[in-house]
Amino acid sequence: MATPLELFCWKGNWGLPSVNTECLIVLAYARFAGVPLKLHKTANPWGSPTGILPALKTQENGSFSQPSKIIIEFRKQKYNADFDLSAKEGADTLAFISLVEEKLMPALIYALWVDPKNYVEVTRRWHGDNIPFPLNFFLPSRMQRQQLARLRLIKGDETLEAGEDMEKELYHDAQECMDLLSQRLGSSKFFFGDSPSSLDAYVFGHLAPLLKIKLPCGRLQQHLKSLDNLTRFCSNILTLYFPSEPNEGAAHKVSTQPEANEFDNEPNKRRKQLLSLVFALGAMLSYALLTGIVSIEHVPTEEDLREPQGIAEASPGEDEE
Amino acid sequence: MSLAAEAFVGQIAAAEPWPESATLYQPLNDEQILLSDNASSLAVQAYLKMCSLPVRVSCRVNAEFMSPSGKVPFIHVGNQVVSELGPIVQFTKAKGFSLSEGLDDVQRAEMKAYMELVNNMLLTAELYIQWCDDTTAAEISRPRYSSPYSWPLSHILAYQKQWEVRRKMSAIGWAGKSLEQVYEDVSQCCQALSQRLGTQLYFFNKQPTELDALVFGHIFTILTTRLTSDELAERVKVYSNLLSFCKRIEQTFFEESDQSPGSSRYSKGPTLT
Repeated sequence: MATPLELFCWKGNWGLPSVNTECLIVLAYARFAGVPLKLHKTANPWGSPTGILPALKTQENGSFSQPSKIIIEFRKQKYNADFDLSAKEGADTLAFISLVEEKLMPALIYALWVDPKNYVEVTRRWHGDNIPFPLNFFLPSRMQRQQLARLRLIKGDETLEAGEDMEKELYHDAQECMDLLSQRLGSSKFFFGDSPSSLDAYVFGHLAPLLKIKLPCGRLQQHLKSLDNLTRFCSNILTLYFPSEPNEGAAHKVSTQPEANEFDNEPNKRRKQLLSLVFALGAMLSYALLTGIVSIEHVPTEEDLREPQGIAEASPGEDEE
Repeated sequence: MSLAAEAFVGQIAAAEPWPESATLYQPLNDEQILLSDNASSLAVQAYLKMCSLPVRVSCRVNAEFMSPSGKVPFIHVGNQVVSELGPIVQFTKAKGFSLSEGLDDVQRAEMKAYMELVNNMLLTAELYIQWCDDTTAAEISRPRYSSPYSWPLSHILAYQKQWEVRRKMSAIGWAGKSLEQVYEDVSQCCQALSQRLGTQLYFFNKQPTELDALVFGHIFTILTTRLTSDELAERVKVYSNLLSFCKRIEQTFFEESDQSPGSSRYSKGPTLT
């Protein structure tokens, strides 16, 4: 009955189906509700119908980009993971989603995009490696600026900078949020009974990157790992619903010496270097020829010397220039 | 407040008892204050009344600029200044007054979650309606916000605030929403609150908590504020248990001291009918 829905989302790594929180939310919900999706895993946001990822493309209703809108669209097409929830549980869902978005999301943005060490060594590297040429030169830093601006606006503080104070405050809120989630989850498999719902998707989308991405400054990660039930919750969802994700994290784990591994990670780098060298030489040579710094002398051959005298006198004069 | 400052304030707070001269500052009631600020201020007043902590309400034109975080209301207690409900709750807790001690862990998690729901949806919707809806912004918000100032400062301040709020809306993804969708979100939020409240007296057991104060602040203000259209109030009125909840809190905590909560709407006096 359903015309296939197409979902464009960020590629995965480190055992995750996608590295982006919003994509993870949408993917998890789709798996929970059994939505038949045509998945496009890409690292090029400009290739999606709305210009940002994730994006859902439907035949009739156009394209959507925000997770909440995408989930509403799924529900409209009768794929509803919240069907079995009571009214009170539905209310709790809204409340806890708000909690996660207010307290946990800013810290996640900070940890991935604003913290200098994490950004340079992990986020920017991954995006630089995976976004196609030539977008990978400017997109990562543009995304970083956008995320920093977003964090500033959410917090209402225009002077927010990466720093210990800001980090402490954000992480404190996030740790409190994780503790609250852990208390609410208790020892059950999912937040509401035995089958997952949209709240599970949201919590998974926010916690899974923290759990799996190896960050050099990982205070938040350590706190999450100390909460066993949340760790189990995430691993559970990963094994049950995303069993076949390749774990490329293993290959990247040894890249603590960046210089040694850079050529291994980029097979095209040699070719690009050679091309740029050839281009540079060509440019310099043509400039030199055109301005006359270097000139090609026309050495008169035997045939030229047999020409009538008039022309022979003229040509050496020109060649001396 | 940064963590270090909070800890410091907490320490000092614990040392001194609650003085009689505690004051709460907010913008002018009749001419200047807007829906969202009024809601926040009423929530804090309700909370302090629930804790039986006396506080004087003082209306100042520049309350927003006096506040340490830029948001109203803020309270001046002893020689400390604390703004916004969250930090004020922490502050009173340090002094030994807390409404949520009797809650167990799961309930506390739910309370915090529902408070975030109100902040995330209701407060944002109020801000949206005030500043992103052109009619309301032009007829109500800008004139009221800038009423104490003379031209050109009034012009500049009003547009600056509007621009700031609109930027925030686009950062959190609300810029693309239509007014109808915002009303829908408010309905959803009220439905969730109504579900959670059910037939109980307060949200948790028989004792009010900071969640009750927050919900009261917002719902009461929405119900008693006259905007360009009554749609918002109508949407909230559908949930009768929220209406009776507000009436109950008003009667219990505000009428006993004969002090009408945040009076004077934009046209007539407040009536919770």
